[in-house]
Amino acid sequence: MTQVGRAMPRLEARAKVSGKAEYTHNLRLPGMLTCKIFRSTVPHGKLLSVDTAAASALAGVHRVITANDILQIVPEPYYGPAFHDQPILAVDKVRYVGEPVAAVLADDPHIAEQAVQLISATYEELPAVYDETEALKTDVYVHETLKPAGTFADLKHLAGMKNTNVALEFHLRHGDPDTAMASADVVLEHTFKTQQCLHVPFEPSVSVAEPTDAGLTIHTSTQTPSFVRMEIARLLGWPDNRVRVKVPLLGGGFGAKVYVKMEALAAVCAVLVRRPVKVALTMEEQFYLITKHPTTFHIRSGVSKDGKILARECNVMWNGGAYADIGPRVTQKSGFTAPGPYDIENVKIDSFELYTNRTPAGALRGFGIPQLVWAYECHTDLIARELGIDPVEFRRKNVLREGRQQATGTPMHDAAIEVVLETLAMRMNWAAPFDRGTGPVKRGRGIAIGFKASISPTTSVAIVNVSADGTASLQMSTVDMGQGSDTAMAQIVADVLAMNAESVRVVHPDTDVTPYDMGTLGSRSMFHMGNAVRLAAEDARSKLQALAREVDLPEGSNVPYQELFVRRYGMKAGNVVGVGSYIPSYTPPDKSNGQSSNVTPFWMIGGTGVEVEVDTETGHVKVTKLVNIIDGGKPVNPSIARTQISGATVMQLGFTSLEKMNLDGGQVTNASLADYKVPGIYDIPPMDVDMVDAEQTNGPFGAKGIGESGTFGVSPAIANAIHDAVGVRIWELPLTPEVVLRAIRTAEGRPLAAAE
Amino acid sequence: MIGFDWAEPESLPEALALLGEGDPSVRPIAGGTALMLMMKAGVFQPSRLVSLHRLGSELCGIQENALGELEIGAMTTLTELQHAPAIAKSFRVVRQALVRLSNPRVRNVARVGGALAHGDPHMDLPPLLAMLGARAVIRGLKTMREIAVEDLYTGYYETVLEPGELITKVTVPPLSGRKAAYAKVTARAVEDWPALGVALSFAMDGDAVKEAKVVISAATEKVTRLPETEKALAGKPADAEALKSAGEVAAGEASLLSDAQGSAAYKRELLRVYIGRAVRQALSNSHH
Amino acid sequence: MKFSGELAVAAPLSEVFDRIRDARIFASCINGVSNLEEIGPDKYSALFETKVAFMKFKFQVEVEMTKAERPNLIEGKIEGKPLGIVGRLNATSSTTLAERGNETVISYDVEANLTGKLGSLGRPVLNAKAKEMEKQFMANLQASFATDGKGGAA
Repeated sequence: MTQVGRAMPRLEARAKVSGKAEYTHNLRLPGMLTCKIFRSTVPHGKLLSVDTAAASALAGVHRVITANDILQIVPEPYYGPAFHDQPILAVDKVRYVGEPVAAVLADDPHIAEQAVQLISATYEELPAVYDETEALKTDVYVHETLKPAGTFADLKHLAGMKNTNVALEFHLRHGDPDTAMASADVVLEHTFKTQQCLHVPFEPSVSVAEPTDAGLTIHTSTQTPSFVRMEIARLLGWPDNRVRVKVPLLGGGFGAKVYVKMEALAAVCAVLVRRPVKVALTMEEQFYLITKHPTTFHIRSGVSKDGKILARECNVMWNGGAYADIGPRVTQKSGFTAPGPYDIENVKIDSFELYTNRTPAGALRGFGIPQLVWAYECHTDLIARELGIDPVEFRRKNVLREGRQQATGTPMHDAAIEVVLETLAMRMNWAAPFDRGTGPVKRGRGIAIGFKASISPTTSVAIVNVSADGTASLQMSTVDMGQGSDTAMAQIVADVLAMNAESVRVVHPDTDVTPYDMGTLGSRSMFHMGNAVRLAAEDARSKLQALAREVDLPEGSNVPYQELFVRRYGMKAGNVVGVGSYIPSYTPPDKSNGQSSNVTPFWMIGGTGVEVEVDTETGHVKVTKLVNIIDGGKPVNPSIARTQISGATVMQLGFTSLEKMNLDGGQVTNASLADYKVPGIYDIPPMDVDMVDAEQTNGPFGAKGIGESGTFGVSPAIANAIHDAVGVRIWELPLTPEVVLRAIRTAEGRPLAAAE
Repeated sequence: MIGFDWAEPESLPEALALLGEGDPSVRPIAGGTALMLMMKAGVFQPSRLVSLHRLGSELCGIQENALGELEIGAMTTLTELQHAPAIAKSFRVVRQALVRLSNPRVRNVARVGGALAHGDPHMDLPPLLAMLGARAVIRGLKTMREIAVEDLYTGYYETVLEPGELITKVTVPPLSGRKAAYAKVTARAVEDWPALGVALSFAMDGDAVKEAKVVISAATEKVTRLPETEKALAGKPADAEALKSAGEVAAGEASLLSDAQGSAAYKRELLRVYIGRAVRQALSNSHH
Repeated sequence: MKFSGELAVAAPLSEVFDRIRDARIFASCINGVSNLEEIGPDKYSALFETKVAFMKFKFQVEVEMTKAERPNLIEGKIEGKPLGIVGRLNATSSTTLAERGNETVISYDVEANLTGKLGSLGRPVLNAKAKEMEKQFMANLQASFATDGKGGAA
């Protein structure tokens, strides 16, 4: 039976529901100390002193660590994938409320926490900047100089730059946007904004650093074990192979656990005290770790009367918070899809990553795409309305088709945008008349389509190890964080080696054993690591075939693998090891105009349609129908694929209607699930999620990434449906009942009193 | 969290004695669902918590007394209340309210006494029981008094309970044919604190509403009765026009607060609309 | 957190100015301030205690008058730390005076920030308290003028 395409249950399902699944939190090591963190109460300031005497004196406290201690073993204690700008503990400055300043180590976590309350620090407060637009203009600078990490070639020129909050700017020019705009029949311009949100992985960040003879083992909830190993080794000045990173299952990642989070603090503490150290954040502390970029997107389009988009200008500002993390990549890699999945000859894109005094922003499911789709699909809907053209028809006129050049100049291949649009229209019954209601509850419908370019170029290496009894194990550093990667990759191996997926043992990431992977992020694993896994399995298979020839078995004789080993080695002994590595072809974008003939190996497409009921007396919006259709190529595991789409949908529903990190004086005022509400079971509307029939020709068995595709269209589809229902446009997320009611009443000429 | 003492008295007098010293850092704990949030928030650090869970047998049970009133032990869990046959029989409005109160995991451990004694206006049970005319029996080591639930609350988190006093029982008079409803409005997720809670009941005199009782909470500093709104409803039919003007009266009468669930201006709009919606809900509840 | 308002006192402007620019009097109008100690020109340290129901809060604060520009502009700030819990309280106030007949109208703008746990999960409780404190402060200030006007509260 073919294994690829099987809707089989996840390999770890039983362990998860019976409580036997392995998570970092379960680890108990002899002598393990707990680390609790003392955090900045000032949004921007010089750190003058830290008084740890009272904390150190508390019975049960083993040691209190500050940057001075870290400097003894790490001369440059700054980390980050794009910039080495984030200190392990604040050295001479703090840049956001909640930034780690000191750490207490104790056996008992309650004593550690109690000691934290006894620490005090003095600051010379500096003015703070919180808004992305202001950050661009202000003379309040979050960083004195920029410190690019050197890992990304296009950031090198920024080294030492001063007097700026711009961590990265991305510029793209295609065609002649100024002329085309001037000659357009209609020009429309809008500004859209999005809010700061949190991933809310149910397992907040947790890392345990364990000193060993060899060096250090870090057990951690990370999506990027290879990077963690390299970065910790770099900080300590050690060769990579003295650091071992082990990753069990994750209780969700969503981008919150990429690159270095708490691993560096755990590692330096462990090295300083020569004992295992556990850093486990509470959900409250997760709000001070990593978030989603708020954005301001100015978008302008020139269109012809008959509905063809002739030119589009995009100016996007990304609020990256106090430290860059992977923000610059979000700005750039999503930046070039800012005009949307449309065939527009003349495009201008300017995308800026700004530093501000807020919790750092980084990768969050969608990697910037949802913020862009929010703006361009609301904008596109407004254009269609202005021209009096049906929203589906308008998109039909303008979407990118096979072979046509996207804004970067890369031609579109295997991107079923049209099919997604048509499927959406059909499932929404778009051609049928729609009753908008006559009473206080009005009905409306809306659609939106978005797309993403897979990150490129990235490297993935996989090992398939066939044992003497004929069973196989897969060694790869892809992390199963609930997206089902273990299962899908096992299915690939099993398909190539003609066995059942259940019998493939997937070895969880362990950098002593599993080879390099760029990271489990950006929906890249299915395609990039999937290709590597397939190559590794094929390599194992051809080695087994070679083994068969070696023992003089005729071609096509179907001898079981264990028989081959016995024949070759005289007994049940030996291994056959297949290796595969994959890096896609790639042409870097031109520095001056962002153009590239090959900017991505695959595109992800997602389209959403919704029907809503709007209570015009209270602003409550009820989604009564939601259709979410993606192009995910040929799914390796259709049932896991569906749960990925519905999971992405629910997550994005939260960002659309419920979630926002509130800030007052730099302090997050709702840092708790009691006040930061995520969707619960009763918030989930009836959903119809599906994949169109499509194939990614350069993907493993026609597959490609899908984890984020379900997020793209949700927010603008709902805003478009609200507009359809009550005739008001909302420009900013989240679409809470109060926001909707205020918009309705303002449009009616009886606005509510200002919120205090 | 900082360490504290934990006491588990086995009888009511023992519990009252432990609480009686008047130290505000000594606090009783029933289900603890609300108290734990305050401790995590850092706003309350007890020196001792007096757990009431062993007082179950003394303070549990739901029964109907000779006057047809429901007597509910303070240590009854909200889930027990939700599923009690006596509630299903005579107080459908209570069961409807409990279905949306927090979530099942909280209701399984939270107790009626704790829900009333806590004093956070963002709760569903206090305005509902206040509207139903419930009375709370409050015991001290040497004292006993009975206070209407409506009169328990004096301010934000402030109640008339003295240190060393515990609610032991809540008595709810029968509805006797009155229509009743509790409308919970949330502004975020469905399972959430109320942004506004409207509890009301009334009798019918032909087509006209009479003897209306209106109690709101969540948008206010404390459980608040709205006498002007009650007057506005009296003697009128429950038609769109009358309900609209009663809503206007309520919007003017109530003193509303802005918070994480919404601005005062928004809550005013909710109140304006939900007086009418609660009345209609009560009318459709009329078949007990 | 921002609040502003105004109140009128039956006293001449220059007297009101002298009264308010005195950090001790400013501090003494806040209920719960004690242990006022001068630590610099126009600068005092103090203990500030308050409670909401069964919840008690104690802050170690510094009160400073940062600007006193005759005839009618006074600015002050309070910087403090809650005892026993990580956090920071800081507030700045700006007060302008205007004559209205034989009354002086005091207009104030206060911006207060609370960071740390109390500023997050504890915020709703403290917000409610702040409003109450505003009312009390105004009442206390008003009352201080109702005496013989010779200044110097505790």
